[in-house]
Amino acid sequence: MTASDVALVGLGMTAMSLSPGRAPQELAREALGLALADAGVTHGDVDGLLVGSSQGIRPDRLGVAFAAQGGFSDLRLLEHVEIKGATTIAMIQRAALAIETGVARTVVCVFADAPLVAGKGAGSAYAHSGGQSGVRGLERASGMLGSVPTYALLAQRWMHLSGATADDLCAMATTTRAWALGNPAAVVRTPLDAEGYLASPLIAEPLRRLDCARPVNGAVAVVVSGDTGLGHPVRVRVRGSGREHPVRHRRAGAESWFGGGRRAVDDALAAAGMSRSDLDVAELYDPFSVVTLMLLEEYGLTDGRTAGEFVRAGETGPGGRLPTNTGGGQLSGFYLQGMTPLAEAVIQLRGDGGERQVAGASTALVGGIGGRLDHHAALLLERAA
Amino acid sequence: MTVLTADWLLSDTLAPQVEGDPLAPLYAGSDRGELVLPFCAACALPLDLDQQVCDGCGAAEITWRAVEPTGTVHSMTVMHRREPGLVVAAEPYPILDVELASGHRLIMTTRTHPSSLPRIGDPVAVAFRNLGGVAIPSADLDPAAPPTTEASS
Repeated sequence: MTASDVALVGLGMTAMSLSPGRAPQELAREALGLALADAGVTHGDVDGLLVGSSQGIRPDRLGVAFAAQGGFSDLRLLEHVEIKGATTIAMIQRAALAIETGVARTVVCVFADAPLVAGKGAGSAYAHSGGQSGVRGLERASGMLGSVPTYALLAQRWMHLSGATADDLCAMATTTRAWALGNPAAVVRTPLDAEGYLASPLIAEPLRRLDCARPVNGAVAVVVSGDTGLGHPVRVRVRGSGREHPVRHRRAGAESWFGGGRRAVDDALAAAGMSRSDLDVAELYDPFSVVTLMLLEEYGLTDGRTAGEFVRAGETGPGGRLPTNTGGGQLSGFYLQGMTPLAEAVIQLRGDGGERQVAGASTALVGGIGGRLDHHAALLLERAA
Repeated sequence: MTVLTADWLLSDTLAPQVEGDPLAPLYAGSDRGELVLPFCAACALPLDLDQQVCDGCGAAEITWRAVEPTGTVHSMTVMHRREPGLVVAAEPYPILDVELASGHRLIMTTRTHPSSLPRIGDPVAVAFRNLGGVAIPSADLDPAAPPTTEASS
């Protein structure tokens, strides 16, 4: 079996909810059922299960017990995969490796998250998580509550070094919203212009509320198989992948957030025998507007321009040279960590994007980051001919 | 009578765990008014606060020692979101990422509500604020200013 035989052959998504409600296991069960149906397979066809969940927000996160909870019989592969926001791509890599080496034939990857709980908004839920021990305890005792201030510090530093401006953040947020308008699954579908962006309250300078992702309760499941005789009629092949884990230290006189990611993209492209000009769409991990800008530059996707210039020229928007985060991303679509860009890539490559469909999209770059840009992962997908 | 000074910014419920915490030497030093940070015992490289093994020489022994309490601003944000129940300040507050003269980097807020804010690259002095009985390193932008809230017990 060759790598190109491994394909994403089933996709299941729950509704993405802004309201508290179901537990991760229940959401995972629904996504699993939808993915199996989409692939036209049953539990009995599955011999591998990979589960992923976010850290810290709730104790009952999805784990390997889902094998039993989800109704599976004996499996050949069962793991909880965890490298923060890069987890989803790591799951696909793990599944592909198991299939290529004959360990398993058909693997389901499930990610579920339910950070929204009764009585608290999303920001509040994250602000109250993190504990009082270790480095995080000291940071929280210094006012670093939730994840926004962490990325605000990163954003301020990046803007200081690169010359990027608040106008660039605005352009990224409004362009991403333009994509969300065509995505029925997006949780924010009202048009957004610069005036509306500037009316959004500051959370942590320079980040406004509309620079931040919208956490949801939801789940996505993907069926990965090397069996060409089963699955959705449009197979989405895994053509290449790459990872980069820059081990960073926080020291005076050095940067601790930047660099990393380009090699992951290079490796994914090389495995696929493609170059950046072959990419039809890019689905990047965008928990904050500034991250998309940074990744466009780090991944080398801006034709030598700054990310701000690239985005303001419309290159990432509808009709642009590199349509990016075509479902509205995590900013306006929904924040389900790495499943947000992966699911959108599958939808685009199947041609199921409806109003937001990028004409002729046959190749997609999916990006993942974890931690404070500590983990990078890239996945190259292509619609089977 | 003991005079306790309430923190200007945060609820005491955010006071860090000290006993048994990996950062216990930092808190013990802060309690004495010293900024105490970790170094490799073998090659003296400044280490991350939770680092166990030196990335410079591979040694696993760590020395915590007092350093000069000065640095420059690596990055700075003003936090406008004030989480109810956790933040007691009525105004947006600063968070600084400081490059210390010792070679470390440390996240901190300010000792008191600041009258003005530094920019990236500006020098800062490090002092301490009291959060629920735990001394926390903080930027001292207004050295003459007393702690903002006082209560007696």
